[in-house]
Amino acid sequence: MRDDLSHLPPASPDDIRAMLARAGIGLSEEHMQQFIATWPQFEAMVRRIPRGLGYADEPAHIFRPSRLAGD
Amino acid sequence: MDIAFLTIAELSRAYDQRELSPVEVTRALLGRIARHDGKLDSFVRVTEDVALAEAKAAEAELMAGRRRGPLHGIPYGLKDIVETAGIPTTGHSKLRQHHVPKEDAEIVRRLKEGGGILMGKLATWEFANGGPSFDLPWPSARNPWDRERLPGGSSSGPGAAVAAGFVPAAIGTDTGGSIRGPAALCGIAGLKPTYGRVSRRGVFPNTFTMDHIGPMTRSAEDIALILQVIAGFDPADPGSEECPVPDYAAALGQGVSGLRLGLVEGWHDAPGAHPDLGPAIADAVSELERLGATIEPVELSSLRDYTDCKTTISIAELYTIHEHDLRTRPEDFGRILRNRILPGALIRAGDYQAALRWRTALAREQQVAFKTFDALITAASRNIADPAEPDRPDRLVTAPSITMPFSVSGVPAIAIPCGFSKAEGMPLSLQIAAAHFQETTVLRLAHAYQQATDWHRRHPELGE
Repeated sequence: MRDDLSHLPPASPDDIRAMLARAGIGLSEEHMQQFIATWPQFEAMVRRIPRGLGYADEPAHIFRPSRLAGD
Repeated sequence: MDIAFLTIAELSRAYDQRELSPVEVTRALLGRIARHDGKLDSFVRVTEDVALAEAKAAEAELMAGRRRGPLHGIPYGLKDIVETAGIPTTGHSKLRQHHVPKEDAEIVRRLKEGGGILMGKLATWEFANGGPSFDLPWPSARNPWDRERLPGGSSSGPGAAVAAGFVPAAIGTDTGGSIRGPAALCGIAGLKPTYGRVSRRGVFPNTFTMDHIGPMTRSAEDIALILQVIAGFDPADPGSEECPVPDYAAALGQGVSGLRLGLVEGWHDAPGAHPDLGPAIADAVSELERLGATIEPVELSSLRDYTDCKTTISIAELYTIHEHDLRTRPEDFGRILRNRILPGALIRAGDYQAALRWRTALAREQQVAFKTFDALITAASRNIADPAEPDRPDRLVTAPSITMPFSVSGVPAIAIPCGFSKAEGMPLSLQIAAAHFQETTVLRLAHAYQQATDWHRRHPELGE
């Protein structure tokens, strides 16, 4: 079975408001309602990401000092 | 000779033979834009003065026998996130509607050096992401095959303008399919080169790790001609790769005999695709087999997996790009872009890192496939162009994408037309991808297919 977070319960509208507030985002009520309708689909995507990769499975993101040395 | 639909290769030959001149072609296309773009809105800004000045300069040089290369005297358009010195570059957004860059993007510098003629700045989904939107300072571009439909995005203007015969070429950008999608839906060719093949410097970012810049034209041959001019290392772009640039046009004539192709199972043929797509792809596969390629099925991770991975990475990066404006003036974004940026505020570092690590695994999966196959084949869009209706659900979250797998891996992928839907008469499209820096293989296959078919020679009627 895949190791992901899709078993977690979806965030409630109050959760979403609180998360946005913690991120420092203030929205009008109209925009907040639009986002509350949107977030669950993104949340489902994020939670389907597999979490069980080994330590040697590094991010695609690569830091290359040689590029900085050329500056 | 219909100037509007001549390819770059044909225009160059006509210049060489003194049958046409750059000024004559530029004036003809400016006239066509003036007559028809009011119905398509593919341009945010037509740069008529610049175009005529560059056309006169090109004409003088060509008449004097000084040919700079394959783009000399060729008109083109730029998606309006590509910076142009002294010419507004808006991102199709209220937030940058008065932004006038001081410098050209690196790709613009190369196009100018190649003698290209800038016809104008083309429509985009807001900042190459939020669209199709109907609440921005400029209208959404429309599809020349049916003005009640959209051209796809985010390179909506480039797709519409090339298909409409306004320009033979345009520069688009592709993070998750923004070149290939509009190319597919407008019935033209569009190439997402290998990540790092074309400099991103001076192009407003959509993400930091997945943005690609590439050509959109009416033939694979023209893609090769533009790529020759714009490809190459740029030390000022941290993502740029120092890798030799081959002769792309020379590779076109090599044919496809002996090439091994993998037809990806479960992507173009998954439920939800347009009913005419499967037969169109099957016909294209048969044509490539007839030309000498061998084709076998191959299984990769699902479109859902690739889409989840790509979207998580891209919205996290998108948020960091727009965070300041989102905090200070959220009302100035269009609805769709605002609702695509905001999720990035709620993505945790662990989510982002998990997606980046998964990206490595998914890219390796394709690397393994490319040890067996010279190229992978699928569709470039699972559906025809959507109707232009403001309240349709956001496709980014409602359906997995068939272009994102090659965005995740960063390999070169081209979209070329392979038929039309029976009921609607809208373009269908084939997607061909190859290993990193194997643009020659992609172009060779696409060109051979276009030599044997005429889908790319069909053009929309714009009326009077």
